[in-house]
Amino acid sequence: MMLTLAHISKTFGATRAIDDVSLDLDRGQVTGIVGENGAGKTTLMRIIAGEIAPDTGNVQLDGRAALVHQHFMLVSNFTVAENLALVDATDPSRLFRTHRTLERRAEAIIGRSGIDLRGVARRVDELSVGERSKLELIKAIASDPDILILDEPTSVLTPNESSELFRVIQRLAAAGTAVLFISHKLREVLEVAPRIVVMRAGRIVADTTSQGMSAEDLATAMVGEHQAIASIVGVQNDENRATAERRSPSAERRIHPLRCEHISGERLDDVTFDVPSGQVVAILGVAGNGQVELASMLRGLEAPRSGAVLLDGKPATRRQLLGSGAVGHIPEDRTRDGIVAQMSIAENIALTSRTPLRHARGFAQRLIELYSIRAQNASQPAGLLSGGNQQKVVLARELDRRPAVIVAAEPTRGLDIAATRFVHEQLRLAAAAGSGILLMTSDLDEAFALASVMYVIYRGHLSDPLTPRDAAMQVGPLMAGVA
Amino acid sequence: MRRLAVGIGAAALSLLLLALAGAAFGHSPRVLLEILVSGSIGSRFALEGTLLKSVPLLLTGLAVVIAFRAGVWNIGGEGQFIVGALAAYLTSRFGTTAALLAAAVAGALWASIASLLRVWRNAPEVLTTILLNFIAIHLLGYCVNGPLQEASGQYPQSDPVPQAAALPLLGGSSLHAGIVVALLVTLASWWLLYRTREGLRLRATGFNPSAAQYAGVDVNAQIARAMALSGAVAGLAGAIELLGVTHRLFERVAAGYGYAGIAVALLAQLHPIATIAAAAFFGALATGAGELQRSASISSSVATFGQAVVILVLILFGSMRAFAPGRDE
Ligand SMILES: Nc1ncnc2c1ncn2[C@@H]1O[C@H](COP(=O)(O)OP(=O)(O)OP(=O)(O)O)[C@@H](O)[C@H]1O
Ligand SMILES: [Mg+2]
Repeated sequence: MMLTLAHISKTFGATRAIDDVSLDLDRGQVTGIVGENGAGKTTLMRIIAGEIAPDTGNVQLDGRAALVHQHFMLVSNFTVAENLALVDATDPSRLFRTHRTLERRAEAIIGRSGIDLRGVARRVDELSVGERSKLELIKAIASDPDILILDEPTSVLTPNESSELFRVIQRLAAAGTAVLFISHKLREVLEVAPRIVVMRAGRIVADTTSQGMSAEDLATAMVGEHQAIASIVGVQNDENRATAERRSPSAERRIHPLRCEHISGERLDDVTFDVPSGQVVAILGVAGNGQVELASMLRGLEAPRSGAVLLDGKPATRRQLLGSGAVGHIPEDRTRDGIVAQMSIAENIALTSRTPLRHARGFAQRLIELYSIRAQNASQPAGLLSGGNQQKVVLARELDRRPAVIVAAEPTRGLDIAATRFVHEQLRLAAAAGSGILLMTSDLDEAFALASVMYVIYRGHLSDPLTPRDAAMQVGPLMAGVA
Repeated sequence: MRRLAVGIGAAALSLLLLALAGAAFGHSPRVLLEILVSGSIGSRFALEGTLLKSVPLLLTGLAVVIAFRAGVWNIGGEGQFIVGALAAYLTSRFGTTAALLAAAVAGALWASIASLLRVWRNAPEVLTTILLNFIAIHLLGYCVNGPLQEASGQYPQSDPVPQAAALPLLGGSSLHAGIVVALLVTLASWWLLYRTREGLRLRATGFNPSAAQYAGVDVNAQIARAMALSGAVAGLAGAIELLGVTHRLFERVAAGYGYAGIAVALLAQLHPIATIAAAAFFGALATGAGELQRSASISSSVATFGQAVVILVLILFGSMRAFAPGRDE
């Protein structure tokens, strides 16, 4: 055994994050870890990587572990090469390197990792999320670990990038590296990991081979029998309602709360689209095709070089976009743009809600229950929540107040199945209540589950509007830029 | 709780280091500490001196707290204090209230110059506010040597403010009503920061400006408002010092209170209520240091030494990361 965990427990205040967990790991073994948001996956991985110490129990690790975090841990005003130089163990001197040498070394490290990433002279803040996550991975592989731990690495990757990652994983495993792989995408876990460990409420509740398992089996194991049935029934209801709503456009849905006319910018090229009230309009695309700039223009943080953003048919001022509360945002990068880690859940929610501050805590408590956010209480600092639960705080805050327009970028990234379903339901309800919803996503399933109109964005260029039926045929090639 | 312990620990440790430093120069640490204590709180006279010095420290400390909470380094307390005192002097013939208000407005405007420079030229406040201090100091120097010099023309100082504008003294002591004003401003700051949406947004801006933006906060405007408020409080400190203590303008009227406010705010770990205790501590240190100078011929600049040591000790405790996660009410 290269890793043996014996009776590990870890509590944070009143939260028992890990509850008597034992686990063995062999060389060259790929193990998937699945479980609901807040089940304790990240905490367990941090214990294995030695980032935090368990309260009780024993970790025996024969070798070195490298952890790729759920959130980026890059120096964002350094270049790719500089970030890699920070971890370059093969550099004998580390002193007085010219940029050129750093870049050559970086290219060598990237080459060895087998991952495709170009432009090492670029600063990290110019990279797309997909590229950033590749860089994280390269960093981890560069340290030549015996155990490689990947915490939700594919949540920001395209299907192609994911397959590339899986090939890298297989290669490393064949060379004897043990790989731990966390994901909420169960099909993908089944595909890449021969062994799967299921966590629930801090415990390991199943440890099986993936042979003969289906995604449904896994989902059931994650939530327990009882809840699984309820949630499957829930799906069917959702779907009925969604189709029903799409077919009944009422008179008030003629209003167009958000419209963009010919907006161009650094990365955007003559983008025009329309979000009618009561509908979900999806902009599908691989990360890094201008979505970030579009979101920031819709928030009023950047002005388009030309063209206009219209609210209710009238050109919107910066102030209307930013401060009026008419537009709710669910930003893509939740740690940077979503939550204020040092402030409590209640305060994070109160930032945009209209509830008097006196009632902020009670109000937040209600949303915590409604969205099943796994938290000690509303006064807990939001930064201490698990990744998925942080996302839920932002979602709860923006969806609950029902703004006229909701701009949701990758709203279910990092959420477990039940939460994803719940959020989709909430987005539909918000639309049914008259909000216009702009969904920016790279997840085809999500777009098809929600949107009545779809656009594909590629290199800052928007496709013609597509109905879900047309889209089924055309999105793939459009997203890849080959149509 | 942890923050309270850190604050008290830092204060105690700095006293200890002060005493040890004294020992290095051949003074008995015990005697030094005794003089410091008796000279700051040992008698009614000493205590009044301590409280008098605490009032401007409390306000300049609060000014720093407010700006830091919004994520801005307002190092310009000294300059804002000075323009506050100047404005109060010029308006003192209209009465105390008018003078206090004028000082707050002047301080706010002076601080807002830094905000404008950031919006226009992206100049960081940490630099511009310092530079504005020098301008304010020389402006004051010019005034008390020129247009505002006393009628007798003898010293570089102004005539005293009209008796009617001076802050009333509290029941037969040397304490003036400014102490009440300062405490009210403290409570109001706490209330603003922790009980209003404005304060919530201000703190969110300080912690994570980009998340604040996506939650609909106009970060530039928010920072500008925080700077103005911070400047107003520092300006008020200048007015209260003028109307309550010095009654005249002279070049060293600010006496470093603006800069000392930074140490006060850091010792209070950016909490408005804790600022009262931190200001009292530094007030006592300054008063005790005066006694050291008189009875042991040790330069009273040990008070400044104490401020520096506190900041260093706080760095040692790692709590300069004042924005570390944790409940902070
Ligand atoms: N430093 C911390 N302080 C307090 N509570 C914590 C801390 N770290 C984790 N927790 C709590 O421990 C529990 C498990 O968190 P963990 O991050 O391990 O979940 P996870 O399974 O990775 O979830 P997700 O899928 O959302 O990423 C959560 O309830 C979380 O709030
Ligand atoms: Mg996690």
